[in-house]
Amino acid sequence: MAYEPQYYPGSTSVGVNRRKHMSGDLEKLRDISDADVVTIMGHRAPGADYPSTHPPLAEMGEPDCPIRQLVEPTPGAAAGDRIRYSQFTDSMYNAPAIPYWRSYWGAINCRGCDPGTLSGRQIIEARERDIEEYTKTQMDSEMTDPARATMRGCTVHGHSLRLDEEGMMFDMLARCELGDDGNVSYLKDQVGIPLDQKVNVGRAMSEEEVAARTTIFRYDNVSFGGLGDAPERKFDEGLVALHHMWERRSKWGFRPE
Amino acid sequence: MVTKSDTEPVQIEIFPNRFLKPETAQCLLNEVYNVGGITRMMIQGPNLPKSVPYGPARGLPVEENLNILLELGDQALELRVKVGRIWLELVSEDYIEKIKAACERALPCSFNIKKGKFFRTKSTVSDYAKYGNDVDEKMLGLVDPKAKRERDLAILSDTR
Repeated sequence: MAYEPQYYPGSTSVGVNRRKHMSGDLEKLRDISDADVVTIMGHRAPGADYPSTHPPLAEMGEPDCPIRQLVEPTPGAAAGDRIRYSQFTDSMYNAPAIPYWRSYWGAINCRGCDPGTLSGRQIIEARERDIEEYTKTQMDSEMTDPARATMRGCTVHGHSLRLDEEGMMFDMLARCELGDDGNVSYLKDQVGIPLDQKVNVGRAMSEEEVAARTTIFRYDNVSFGGLGDAPERKFDEGLVALHHMWERRSKWGFRPE
Repeated sequence: MVTKSDTEPVQIEIFPNRFLKPETAQCLLNEVYNVGGITRMMIQGPNLPKSVPYGPARGLPVEENLNILLELGDQALELRVKVGRIWLELVSEDYIEKIKAACERALPCSFNIKKGKFFRTKSTVSDYAKYGNDVDEKMLGLVDPKAKRERDLAILSDTR
């Protein structure tokens, strides 16, 4: 029987969504053009050549190394692209992805990338043409709600703040706007440089949809340990597994022999 | 905006569950101001920078945050924050229900009103550095230590 990875425990919608993110089995909700993704990332002009930091690997004459023979380089590495990044801020108000799950998704599903998780933002670094592909996958899929997740290279404040009146995550640089038709557009690239024209990144999700798609446990949606005032609290299997890991880790850390 | 009264003053916090757009904030402040009975008011929220503070775009103006004016009574202040919290000192408890009604009229989202003690009563080291020994107690806690009094503080006349 073929091995099936078991990514995450729990039978709640959050557990199911977390498994979806980790496995990469994500629903594609929209199709943003490559040029638009490149424009928002802001590292190169759409259509421009990829600057390189070294010649293509095929021309370099690599040393005789069994690992290099075993591992096929990513397209970006093979071409000698620069390392570039994309960074997302996800609102804690039921954004579909939360920083750790973007990282799990990247680490498990994207070759040659370096995910970094911070308290309210998540960055993935990779060779330029690789990160463009990974970023497009994130923006096209259910990992991203345009209203509650924004690509922010700097001045990322917003994850833990209340939403704006119209349901957008707070952004002090006003990179995005919600149109009358319910679509969200980028007015600036991820570091705040104004774009020549707006980039439409799709319709903002409804409250019901984000509640169903989120990977964050919240007391007012899917609670981690059941409602605090319930007669009998029932912990999510994810919490039981987490307790187990913490117990083992603490004991192991305390008595390493 | 000083209204003399012999009743005990109370302090309340209006906490909307969403950040307010400048137009909504203006509408809310008008409604609250029209209720009367306010001795002090403080508006708080995350900063709206005039220019990009970090990164490759550092120094570029953020057009959306420029020239947002709040008008109240006979004064106008430049709004430099996204309004998320308002502290009020009222001349008496009688005004709380009226303030609540004003919030219901002006706010498109749910909100909480909490009674408590929000403005500090003792001068801090920063206050001493800013105002010296002779500080008017009503000034305490109204603006950040780094704020400029003439830019961020407005004193309204008694007549409304």
